[in-house]
Amino acid sequence: MARFRLLLRNELRLFRTAVPIHAVALLQPTILYLLMSTILVHPTFEMNVAWPTTEAGDRLLEAMSHVGSPIGLPYIEPVIVPFDGGPVARQVVVVEDQGGHPVAVQHFGLIDSNLVKNYRNRLTAAGLRLWNEALDGRAVSVEERAWLPHDMPYNIYFGMALLPMTVFVAASFLGAILVAQEFEFQTILEYRLAPLSPAWILAARLTRLLLLALLSAVILSVVVGLRSDAWPDLPWLVVLILVPVALIAGCLGMLAGLLLRRSIPAFLVGLVASFAGWVMGSGFGLAAGFGGWYERLSRLTPFTHAVELIFPRYFGAVIGRPALSVAYLLLVSAAMLVLTAVAYRWRVVRQA
Amino acid sequence: MRRFWILLSIELKAWRSDPVTALGGFIPPLFILVAFGLLFGGRLSFKIAVLNQDTGQYGAILRRAFDEVLSPFGTPYYDVVDLAPEEAWEAYRLHQIDGIWLLPEDFSRRLAAGEGPAVDMFFSNYNDDRAKNHRIYSAEILWHFYQKIGLPGPPLDLAESYPRSEMIDWFPVIAVGVALLSFMLGGMINVFMLTRKEQVSRIVVEFGLAPRSLAWVLLPKVLLAVVMGLATGTGLLAIVYLWVGAWPGVYLWAVWLMAGLVSLFWVPPTLLLGMRAQYFAGAIATILTGLTVFFVGGGLALVRHNKESVPWFSWLFPNTYAVDPLRDLVLFRTWPVDWWPTLLILSAFAGLSMAAGLGLAARQLRRLA
Repeated sequence: MARFRLLLRNELRLFRTAVPIHAVALLQPTILYLLMSTILVHPTFEMNVAWPTTEAGDRLLEAMSHVGSPIGLPYIEPVIVPFDGGPVARQVVVVEDQGGHPVAVQHFGLIDSNLVKNYRNRLTAAGLRLWNEALDGRAVSVEERAWLPHDMPYNIYFGMALLPMTVFVAASFLGAILVAQEFEFQTILEYRLAPLSPAWILAARLTRLLLLALLSAVILSVVVGLRSDAWPDLPWLVVLILVPVALIAGCLGMLAGLLLRRSIPAFLVGLVASFAGWVMGSGFGLAAGFGGWYERLSRLTPFTHAVELIFPRYFGAVIGRPALSVAYLLLVSAAMLVLTAVAYRWRVVRQA
Repeated sequence: MRRFWILLSIELKAWRSDPVTALGGFIPPLFILVAFGLLFGGRLSFKIAVLNQDTGQYGAILRRAFDEVLSPFGTPYYDVVDLAPEEAWEAYRLHQIDGIWLLPEDFSRRLAAGEGPAVDMFFSNYNDDRAKNHRIYSAEILWHFYQKIGLPGPPLDLAESYPRSEMIDWFPVIAVGVALLSFMLGGMINVFMLTRKEQVSRIVVEFGLAPRSLAWVLLPKVLLAVVMGLATGTGLLAIVYLWVGAWPGVYLWAVWLMAGLVSLFWVPPTLLLGMRAQYFAGAIATILTGLTVFFVGGGLALVRHNKESVPWFSWLFPNTYAVDPLRDLVLFRTWPVDWWPTLLILSAFAGLSMAAGLGLAARQLRRLA
């Protein structure tokens, strides 16, 4: 055990030899989160409304302020603007009198169809409130039966689904680059000549990758928490769920380094696996919601299983089949450990 | 000129020894394209089940309304799947469908009698934006339903005007931004790697000792990097074409000209970075710079009509000026109205960057020597 401690200490000291690489591997997903979270969709929209000059205009403004979620955010923030009938920069709603009947005309600038949809739906929702009031007993009411007691900001799901990717990036990048560099700088010779069992060396390296990967996940989860005020109810369980993901990634990175022996191709393996796994593995929404081939492929990645296991810790509701996901993660990490050990023996011990 | 071609062929050989570097300008934009495609370019209809238990006629009319109301994407807001009630609830529990509308058996009777008819809408709200869509899409459905069953008209009618006959989709707008990123990043990564390789093999010292002007050394490098940038960007444009069907056609040369000028702006500072930075740190810094510029430089939205939401610092680099004219060429295949002013601005940016960047690089090479 003393040997293992010494090896681990040595591994951790190696951090100093490649500080920029470590910084990138540890912080890159958090930077991605911060960048993406600034542009991710938000339910509240500012809507430009021309200064109302009629009672219908006043009533529309009033109705707009009531469009929103009863268990979440308002959807419209009306902004009164002057309108002279000229070209519109983004959008403006003008209540006009057409043939003695009031009409709310929404003038759009050159904006994309998604924005048009959002503005159109919101105006319709406000208009429907007025229509429902006029219809009284004949108005159809929609009784909302939402799944969760509160609407959860998308930032939370997005950040939570980045956690497996974060540990994957850190473990696979570092595993790939550092092992490949051992070959490039010929320091692999030291391992070949070491009188230690390869199992100790591998265990120390994997432990180091695991610790760094979990550190990157902690950094991201703190940033997600500070930004969205969403914290897991059992942080230790989230860490435990991420351990097999980090092991799989660390093994994949080391395998790439051992087999390719060059840092750029090995790094690319880690990069492609991390991002493809994230995109395919419930990174943007629950895999089941996409259905079909996406869901089938998604369940082959550790990302979807990890996301489904972490989900209850942030949202308080169980999804997927937790026992199956745990079994998948354990089996795949065990298989990757065996593969890495075999590759290590072949590349380092046998070829010495 | 012979000197130029010799040096260009040397640079090309250096590139050919490790062509994987060219992927640096292709892979990150491709990931971004796929990520945004999944976020904004995929299925936008909500898959729901409608359990119509109504014994009257209005339930069926409401059910039809789901198919009849079209979004600005030209598709219905809802994709109603026909499932038996037990299957529907199971699919909803497993998140295979987005929601269930339950129409009670007395729906028509209460509607006819004016006794406050109600429907139940079950939906998932783990993503507040999708929950918002459930709520505001239901307004579109009910608006259409009221019109169909001949209820008294609304107290306030709705109308809209759009400046084009065809609506612009969001994902193609983003895709052109990503293509510009690929043009730019292709140039940056290639010049970074070329410089790096020469530093490792100590050729820079020989360059620094050259008795002739260092322009002969630096220009082939810059030219090769820009050409590589044009190649990766065009590759990404081809993927955009396969995905969303947008291709500049006969305007491809104009796209190359604009994107080339943008690339020319970014290549000299990256060359300087390549002479100083560590290998991976420099490569990652280059990619992150490209991504940041993409995010703040009009990569995600049309610039001309949203100038008020463009940060002031975005106007300090050429991407913000180039991205909308590129969208004109790629998405609409129309000549940009601001072609000449944009070209002048881009040329000024590129000229300034070349003069400053190559001047500093030449000084540094002489110092190294």
